[in-house]
Amino acid sequence: MEKFGAGYLEERKLVPRWPQPIPAIVSLVLTMVVFYITWWLFQDPRGWMRMYTPYVGYMYTRWWLIVLIWMVYIFNYWPFRRSWVEKTHPLLKGAILTTISVFILLLLIKGFFEMLLGNFGIAYFNPERLKALGLTEFFSLEYSALACLMFAAIASWLSPAWIVACEERPWEKMDQPGKGISILVMTFFLSTLIFFVTMHSHMGILYYPWQYFTSIAPPYWEAFAGTVSGNFHVAWIMCCTVMVWTVETIWERYPFKLIKTDWLRRLTAFFGIIALAFAMFFFLYFAQELTWGEAIRGTRLINAPDWRWLHVGEMAVFFLLPAMFITFYCGNWPKRFSLPVNVLIRTAITIVAASLIYILYYKFSHDFLGTQKGFMHEQQFPMIPTIWLINIWLCHHWFMDNWPGWKMVPKTADEIAKDHQAEKELVADVKWSPVLGWGLIVGFVLGVALYFVIVFILPWLYKVITVIPQ
Amino acid sequence: MSETKGKMSRRDFFKGAAMGVMGGTLLGMGVYSYSPWRKAFFPEIERKMADIGVCKSIKVTNISETSWFTNATLMSDIKNAGGLLVNQYSYNWPPFGDGTGLGRGSYEKGIAKIRHLLPNNVDEAWEVTKRLSVSPENAGGFAALIEVEQLNGRKRKFLLDSGWSYKWMDESFKREGIDRMLANREIEALIISHEHFDHFWGIPVTYKYDPTITTYIPDGFYPEGLDYIKASGHKGKVVKVKPGLNTIIPGLATYVFAVPIICRVYGEQAIYGNVKDHGLVSTTGCCHFGIIQFAETAYREIAYENNQLYGIYGGLHISPFEDWDPKYDDLVISLGKYDFKKIGCNHCTGVLCAKKFVERGYPVQRGTARFRSPAAEYLGNGDKIGFGIDV
Repeated sequence: MEKFGAGYLEERKLVPRWPQPIPAIVSLVLTMVVFYITWWLFQDPRGWMRMYTPYVGYMYTRWWLIVLIWMVYIFNYWPFRRSWVEKTHPLLKGAILTTISVFILLLLIKGFFEMLLGNFGIAYFNPERLKALGLTEFFSLEYSALACLMFAAIASWLSPAWIVACEERPWEKMDQPGKGISILVMTFFLSTLIFFVTMHSHMGILYYPWQYFTSIAPPYWEAFAGTVSGNFHVAWIMCCTVMVWTVETIWERYPFKLIKTDWLRRLTAFFGIIALAFAMFFFLYFAQELTWGEAIRGTRLINAPDWRWLHVGEMAVFFLLPAMFITFYCGNWPKRFSLPVNVLIRTAITIVAASLIYILYYKFSHDFLGTQKGFMHEQQFPMIPTIWLINIWLCHHWFMDNWPGWKMVPKTADEIAKDHQAEKELVADVKWSPVLGWGLIVGFVLGVALYFVIVFILPWLYKVITVIPQ
Repeated sequence: MSETKGKMSRRDFFKGAAMGVMGGTLLGMGVYSYSPWRKAFFPEIERKMADIGVCKSIKVTNISETSWFTNATLMSDIKNAGGLLVNQYSYNWPPFGDGTGLGRGSYEKGIAKIRHLLPNNVDEAWEVTKRLSVSPENAGGFAALIEVEQLNGRKRKFLLDSGWSYKWMDESFKREGIDRMLANREIEALIISHEHFDHFWGIPVTYKYDPTITTYIPDGFYPEGLDYIKASGHKGKVVKVKPGLNTIIPGLATYVFAVPIICRVYGEQAIYGNVKDHGLVSTTGCCHFGIIQFAETAYREIAYENNQLYGIYGGLHISPFEDWDPKYDDLVISLGKYDFKKIGCNHCTGVLCAKKFVERGYPVQRGTARFRSPAAEYLGNGDKIGFGIDV
């Protein structure tokens, strides 16, 4: 039975061509060069295609991410045979698979959203319909792109969540493409459901007069969020996306994989990721209140609650960059300690690195990427370059086996068996003991204290670091 | 054996501690961060109550609020040039057209075509640039005359912005007698709200009549904008106003906000007027920072009559292209609680927003829709509004 790329990512051995950190540095430099060239070609407002309008470029960036997830995580490289995936040169494989991903992306945007949904379901997905209703061409494109990308935000959380948290249940034993189609339909159905209860009302009040008959106007979250904007939902959904990938990469599915009962583990993982995302969501909003003061409803720019919520999502994405880099190019370093300690160290590194990238981004993106100067503007979307870079890393890691820094060698059956054994031992290593219990209590107290220390020093920290000179 | 046991115990302790640290931190983040208790960390707002003085009245004449005449043309240019973040000097709009087409221009190439004609031959300069530019007929401009009556009865005049099209602004200046006032040195200063094309690119028209006029610009101008002031023939004083409060005369101050703005512009200044027995009047060019931010800043920074936010004049940058976003509804909903008594909005406020204000019962002054202003929902070209004075 042909297995296509099922299990390929776990069953490939990436052998570094040079001692670390050379492969990691080579990969970073190479992908950054590709990032900058493609950014200039496709996105940069000073470049060639100038898709950073911003919503059009943002929509394509978000959906490209999801198409990559579909191809690898949900469809396991189907219809490509396993032998092709293993034997094709990474450059050729990367070129073919990336081209296909772009083709699917265009088919999805133009075919599914604009033609099908936009013509036979909801007008706001089709720019031509909005134009015919009297909107300028620019805002017709922007508004329809906004609707599509809001859908994408949800799909970018749920598509990987079904694999990472739900472990492909109940289709894990099914062959491709049946498995892929089943998961795709399920996650798309859930995305649609969540789109209607989170984003549709935002679209409903985007047009004049408010669409009282077809949406909830004003939206139900107004009092809690301090805004009628759907950015409130974008924020927690983005945090969910970031948490899924954090759990999948630097956390190695910890702590959920410690739960032995299958159904309980899957359920806990799915809702646990949401709970973790909400912790991140609330904290990142609070962090802004601590540095910039309380949000004021009705203001524009940095003090507006709708932007603060959006910025929660934007800040969250900065954490994805180091998390993915550690996993893709640093072999999930460190691995020498117990699983919880490894995870804690990687998380700490990720937080520090994300904070540095955040500062560097706002210091230099205006000159280097052609984005708006300053933290806040309606057209300032750090999620576009960050996700654009993530997409490039995904293509490099999934389609090109980290070439040229690494060489892909299929693992032998023995090596795969050893991996499984090591994984079992890793999980078994975290078992209850009174000493662990004491550690847990002490750690918990320290964790709460750490939270309040961070809350206490954040305003001071913001004052002493000049990110954007006035 | 005991050493191994000790090692094991230490390892177990750290395992537990690592789990606990993450659990404790995450619990704090989730439970405390958006709870009402978090407000204990917010500092008390201290009102600085800066004294900017008091004036008797303020009268504003709308010289022009029509920055462009058709949204579709402007937005088509913006879209085809690459969107709202493209550098405004590269659009190839007048007066910096160089004949290379939309999105391919530059300040240097554009100004080279007209520099020798500025400021005295603005008509000829406009004819030159018309042939080389994209959509020259769509260019209008924003400018307003602010007349401040001091407590002793002395009247002082200030020009807020100088529009865009040389032709349109010259006509508008003549219509409202601004040309004569400038030539007679009756207007004390030109206050440029920000570097945007529709507020700033028409400065040669002001300098044609008074090249020595003191010009206030907000800090944050790009090198092109700074050079353009010189290239336009200005011979007076240029005051770069730093972010924050800057009193001009008793009862009138500007405030600079360090904010990013579309088309690669940074920083905007707006005007506070403190009118005796009435309250604070806000006069803005585009108000990219938001009118509520302006009101909140006034509350925190300055003292004003009766502690009352009294009036508004100018663009409020809500739906400049008749576009919309739910966050603008936040503004529409919230503005009511600030209890402004007189709202003279126009320009980038958008007709749609003015309609929404009226629907909520806000005291929006209607206009006369003359001289190419699009609607009577707000104050149009040639309309006047008085604060502390009837007009």
